[in-house]
Amino acid sequence: MSSPEMSQTKRDASPSDFQNLNYFKDLENQFLEINQLGMYWNEFDTQKFIPSKEIALELHFLLSLTRAVEETLDSAFRSGNVPGTAFFGRGNEGASVGSAYCLTEEEWLVPMHRNCGSHLAKGHPPESIMAHFFGRKDGPSEGRDGNFHMGYRPKKITQLISHIGTMVPIATGLAWAEKYRDTNRAVLTHIGEGGTSSGDFHEGINLASVQQLPLVVIIDNNQYAYKTLPEKQYACKSLVLKSTGYGIPGFLVDGTNLLLINYICGLALDMARRGKGPILIESITMRSSGHSVYDKFSDYADMETLEKWVEERDPIKRYDKLLMDSQIFTPEELEDSHLRARETAVQARDIALKSSFPNPDQMENEIFAD
Amino acid sequence: MTQKTYSNAIREALWEEMERDENVYLLGEDIGLGGGAFYITKGFQEKFGVQRVVDTPLSEAGFTGSAIGSSLSGLRPVVEFQFADFVTESFKMIVDFAAGNFFRKMGPVPIVFRLPSAALTSAGPFHSQNPEIWFFGTPGIKIVAPSNPYDAKGLMKTAIRDNNPVVFIEYKKFYNYPPADLPDPLKLEIPEDDYVVPLGEARVLREGKDVSLITFGTTVIQALSAADQIEDEGASVEVIDLRSIVPYDKEAILNSVKKTGRVLFLHEARKHGGISGEFASLISEEAFEYLDAPIIRIGAINTPVPLSPPLEKAYLPSLEETLFALRDLLEY
Repeated sequence: MSSPEMSQTKRDASPSDFQNLNYFKDLENQFLEINQLGMYWNEFDTQKFIPSKEIALELHFLLSLTRAVEETLDSAFRSGNVPGTAFFGRGNEGASVGSAYCLTEEEWLVPMHRNCGSHLAKGHPPESIMAHFFGRKDGPSEGRDGNFHMGYRPKKITQLISHIGTMVPIATGLAWAEKYRDTNRAVLTHIGEGGTSSGDFHEGINLASVQQLPLVVIIDNNQYAYKTLPEKQYACKSLVLKSTGYGIPGFLVDGTNLLLINYICGLALDMARRGKGPILIESITMRSSGHSVYDKFSDYADMETLEKWVEERDPIKRYDKLLMDSQIFTPEELEDSHLRARETAVQARDIALKSSFPNPDQMENEIFAD
Repeated sequence: MTQKTYSNAIREALWEEMERDENVYLLGEDIGLGGGAFYITKGFQEKFGVQRVVDTPLSEAGFTGSAIGSSLSGLRPVVEFQFADFVTESFKMIVDFAAGNFFRKMGPVPIVFRLPSAALTSAGPFHSQNPEIWFFGTPGIKIVAPSNPYDAKGLMKTAIRDNNPVVFIEYKKFYNYPPADLPDPLKLEIPEDDYVVPLGEARVLREGKDVSLITFGTTVIQALSAADQIEDEGASVEVIDLRSIVPYDKEAILNSVKKTGRVLFLHEARKHGGISGEFASLISEEAFEYLDAPIIRIGAINTPVPLSPPLEKAYLPSLEETLFALRDLLEY
């Protein structure tokens, strides 16, 4: 991949740009880059970044599968097959798929609860995700945890605990292990804009910065932390500005543009692998559903703005349109991809529903590793 | 006989384990350049380098989480807390993440948390606490509490080789306790060769037939003095040092109770909510018919740890209190 310096038009950004920053308009065809030398707007012409047809379609399938899996899980919850609760990442599919797709097989992913797409892009089989949600034996925690509190060790995906912020230091430690062993591998983690208010976010990034660890932290800023708005969450004009405080590079990007996030994350991971980490990415999306299946989003959300985002910034619609406009793909190819995604999700559900419930007999003997 | 202090014993264990396994590394505040608040790791950074003896920012939650993260990848971190009290900063990392990770099928978390604990003349409310009760109620965490140099070294080696989170309670007042002044049952020869002390095995420090005095940590020395004095008064006290709290030696407790029929628990931590309550309930459930007297428990009073000398003295369990309770039990 080429660097933005080489391929893009670049102009200086100024602090005043943040005064009335409009995520909808100002991030449409550009992203912001902060480094030790300054702050820049880089133009980004998405059409130029369409990869080979094979990869473009693979990304399309993963994107569509993410939504299909979550929608299938949502119906499964409504029909009583999901014990507990469920959280979804509607609106975040592009940011999840686009970022995790950049990781190698050997690299760790430390996801958040709205990163179903990251799991799928990293290779977590959908039937395993479903079995986890259903509390079944074939889920990765064998029923000991549920919903998106899951990891998948064969693909180097950690679990996450409910305490938001905690996973940043955990990711820092995984990155420490890579540096310790001199592997040239990087670690990718996600946190929400709400999570950036936690002390752990600060402690994790600060430690990673001091030790120059190969870590990329993506802030999935979906503009809602449960029922709290960004202005009650932080006072800085944009979270990417925090990178300056840690002395690390930062990027502010539209997270609904799959190829943009894929490009930036690839760039950041590459920097991290070369010892230039950590890197902070603020990815702007908008949560298009409630916090959890129990949440009535319309009680507090600005539905008018949301409609506009859903219409013009839905990551799937956007990617569909991009591929169609490129004229490299036919409508049939894309429709076929969507259809396969939905079929895959339904098959995964059916497989998972056949998995047995776990047996409690040995639980007390499985507290400690040998 | 090789005489070593408690701090030297811990130091040797860390050094030897780092030489044995390159996945073992140390992290904490001031431990590299400065050798740590208690100088346990003095000279380690020169020998093992900045990568294996890491001076962290002042951020217990951050470096504990990071250590746990690195253990998921197969490293074996030993985390030094400057004082046990500061582990509260890291609570969720240990209790919520590390403790349950294996149970949730996400793999082992081999990690040791070194906690310099308990009172040390007027150290005050935030440098004197006994942390075992904070972790005892959480499945998935092992807890050890060595009372002497031999056990400290052997248990540290075991803890580092264990594939689970281990809270390693160290006693500040023992760090530089002159080995020659230790009571005889604690003057254990430290072998030149590698050795380990298994978790979950109590040590009978002194055999007795009339009453069982079950203890661990700082109060072990007090227990042995009390036993000496009671022997002079004509009764024999069995003194048991638990050494390891999770797992704990159920058999040792029950066997001793079955032998003596009388039991006194003694620990420096507060009696209220203290772990001896769990052991007392164990005896009640499994050996009630052997008891000839009610179980007595001694621990600190139920206040935060006060600083001023007369207050601290009133707070901590005393030798007098221990003697009084033993006599009470024997006369029952």
